[in-house]
Amino acid sequence: MNEILTQEKSIYLQISEMIENDILRDILLEEERVPSTNELAKLYAINPATAAKGINLLVDQNILYKKRGIGMFVTAGAKERIRMKRKEEFYDNYIRTLIEEARSLGISKEDLVKMINDYEEK
Amino acid sequence: MAELICRNIKKRYKDKEVLHGIDLTLEEGKIYGLIGRNGVGKTTLLSILAAHNPATEGEITLNGEQVWENQNALDHICFSRELNPLSNNGMSGTVKEYLMAASVYFPHWDKDYADRLVKEFDLDIKKKLIKVSKGMLSMVTIIIALASKAKFTMMDEPVAGLDVFMREKFYQLLLEEYTQTGRTFVVSTHIIDEASSVLEEVIVMKEGNIILKENTEELLGRCVHVSGKIEDVDRATEGLTARHTEIVGRSKGVTVFLKEGEQVNTSYDVSVQPVTLQKVFVALCGEENDG
Repeated sequence: MNEILTQEKSIYLQISEMIENDILRDILLEEERVPSTNELAKLYAINPATAAKGINLLVDQNILYKKRGIGMFVTAGAKERIRMKRKEEFYDNYIRTLIEEARSLGISKEDLVKMINDYEEK
Repeated sequence: MAELICRNIKKRYKDKEVLHGIDLTLEEGKIYGLIGRNGVGKTTLLSILAAHNPATEGEITLNGEQVWENQNALDHICFSRELNPLSNNGMSGTVKEYLMAASVYFPHWDKDYADRLVKEFDLDIKKKLIKVSKGMLSMVTIIIALASKAKFTMMDEPVAGLDVFMREKFYQLLLEEYTQTGRTFVVSTHIIDEASSVLEEVIVMKEGNIILKENTEELLGRCVHVSGKIEDVDRATEGLTARHTEIVGRSKGVTVFLKEGEQVNTSYDVSVQPVTLQKVFVALCGEENDG
């Protein structure tokens, strides 16, 4: 949990993405406890309600689960689920913006494909 | 759930009305931010909420009970006002004596907590109040607010005069106390973006009125900055509430306040960016230059 907050996005989204990133990087392991809402609030100097919103987002997606009276834990299989979800979002987050920017610069589809192929050859 | 409610609060000083009928409900267990330009009535409102100052009209109730001259209600309210050496009000003594007076005044005063805060801030309590720096005066007001343990605690510019390290420390201490107790805090500040992530709700005052009270996240979620060629920006934001227009040559930027279901029309070539609370505040309270 060492990433910093930016102004680019809602804080609760950033909180949930940071936890996801830590799970992807094995900083947080499956079946391990994650920082509590209050710990996150203190760490990032954010309102606990905001931290809770970020955590709940991950609970809804079955990436975290609650152990009553103990805290929030990483669900078994969470890493794979995050990877799947990010793959699904890849088109919207990267491909669409890539194509739109290329179009506004007058880069043809062929050139774009060539750039991707050339990059892979390096 | 306790509630501090004010209804139609008006305040007149001689001929000048400085609060024009404020309606406000503060719920227990929230951190509110009170923002507004200098002289809009923030301090007056806070002091009236805590019955330090009588309202000319209107009433304030805590759980349905009148607050004015009602010790039962006042036991749960703390207003830690800014200490100003120039006004010299009760500032002849030392920091220690001032804290001692507070410990008598606030029935739920937590002495151990106050002592711990004195250490955290590295305050020299033997010093006279008029001799300590502006930052240290802020620390004294913060200690009083936190250690008062009052259910509803109003802080008037607690971070004024504090350096960046102490401001961060303040917000951490505030969050720590808040998460442990669920007290309600109202914090006024001019350093808006630093406070923004701490505030559950923001209350914006303009010229003696409250013009907005909203959940901070939701507010930021519905405000965007739209920029591009003047015509494109105009088309993309047609029918939307756009404020704080800035025009440079052929380019235009506006802050847009989206209502439920509204959207910026991105089929035009415009940039749509998130905004900070400070930007939203400027858009709400700044000079309007597009008539």
